[in-house]
Amino acid sequence: MTPRLRVLLVLVTAVALEGTLLDELRVDGVSVELLLLVAVLTGFHGGPERGAITAFFAGLLHDSIVGAPLGLHALVYPPLAVAVSSLELRMLRSTPVTGGLAVLAAVAAGQGLASVVGMLFGILGQTPQAFVRQAVLAGILTAVVAAPVNRVVRWAATGGLPGTIDIRRGVG
Amino acid sequence: MAAPRPTERPRPTLLLLAAAAFTLLTLHIRGAAPLDAFQQGLRDILEPLRSVTDTATDPIQAAWNGIFGYEDLRAENERLAVELARLRGRSVTDAADSELLERLLGEVGLDYTQTDTVVVRILGTPPGNFGTHRIEVDAGTDEGLSEGLAVVTGAGLVGRLEQVDRSRSTVILATHPEFLVGVRLVASQDEGLARGTGRGTLKIEAGIRMDADIAWNEAVVTSGGRSLLPPDIPVGRVIDTDEHAEYERNVVIDLNADLESLSFLNVVLAHPEGDPLGVESGPTGSPRP
Repeated sequence: MTPRLRVLLVLVTAVALEGTLLDELRVDGVSVELLLLVAVLTGFHGGPERGAITAFFAGLLHDSIVGAPLGLHALVYPPLAVAVSSLELRMLRSTPVTGGLAVLAAVAAGQGLASVVGMLFGILGQTPQAFVRQAVLAGILTAVVAAPVNRVVRWAATGGLPGTIDIRRGVG
Repeated sequence: MAAPRPTERPRPTLLLLAAAAFTLLTLHIRGAAPLDAFQQGLRDILEPLRSVTDTATDPIQAAWNGIFGYEDLRAENERLAVELARLRGRSVTDAADSELLERLLGEVGLDYTQTDTVVVRILGTPPGNFGTHRIEVDAGTDEGLSEGLAVVTGAGLVGRLEQVDRSRSTVILATHPEFLVGVRLVASQDEGLARGTGRGTLKIEAGIRMDADIAWNEAVVTSGGRSLLPPDIPVGRVIDTDEHAEYERNVVIDLNADLESLSFLNVVLAHPEGDPLGVESGPTGSPRP
């Protein structure tokens, strides 16, 4: 399977899951941001360019299923994927805990940014407190499901890329 | 983790994607129909899957709600118990209110209960975490619904249809800060433009005369005319007359309909230019075609 087809498969599965199963399982009215997670993890594993492109399409799909104007999330997700990719290059050591915290922060930032853009365009009607609460809760919920999604996205995003060479610790 | 390829140029790509997203966003906000059709098509493709998942996940959802929604359920139960006690104690007041409503509706020359409507069931909030003050209902274009139609309960205005797919629609609630509706004060006959406040009330932001004689608890209905919604739908009652305003009066209205405990809604099957309250209309809550 070609890398593009893998990414497409992951995006289609993610949109189906986010629009169905995950929409049913909400905590305090907030659900998992699966497409945002896919965007962030693609940036992490696939590099900035592949991450940005995948994030753009993830954003478009997200806009469609949540009923936001087309392009709103597509505007927010790619910079986030590139930022996460850049962060990955600067991290010396990554543990499951730091990874989880990074996902939480990235998803909360993405959710918050999308809300701010939505507010700027006069689409959202939330108070800043509600923004923050929703962003943090979405970050926590998404971080909880990040481990299995991470494996799938790594499989999809690293296709065709050179394997991991851990040169930072001097190990070949 | 894979190292980024040396040929990667994230900055131009990012700029290109941002420009594309911004263009799409601008086109969509300006009302480009193909973009709406694309989104609606995607949601329609997902719809059968969503219906199956809705049914299949009912037991899981029940268990989930049992774990995470227990406190909400208890609070809701307590709220309903208090509400029941309040209603029992207010039977006399209710009778008087009912009489007042009938009298007010008679004054404006309409029979609100004879409006031709489609009954819809509330499914919940739209997918994702983006929509606030919005709910999803189980009817769409297949049932003759279209964007902009008024959504009401027996108590009055709830909102209007914002997005209509084949078999689902999204309702923007009247409390949304971007919800605008033309309203008329029944006693003083002043008209103005009301906006949701995000907190269960609406505020009339423009149109009210500074010297208008507005009474506390005065009934407010939709004004029709150039407004998106049909005229004479009960909206609520005045809870702040803002009589000491020096520049512009901001009258606050408490919504009649209780948006917290909704299960079924009525969609009024007529745009303002139609005849929402006409004699030729069908019975209230007619079954779907």
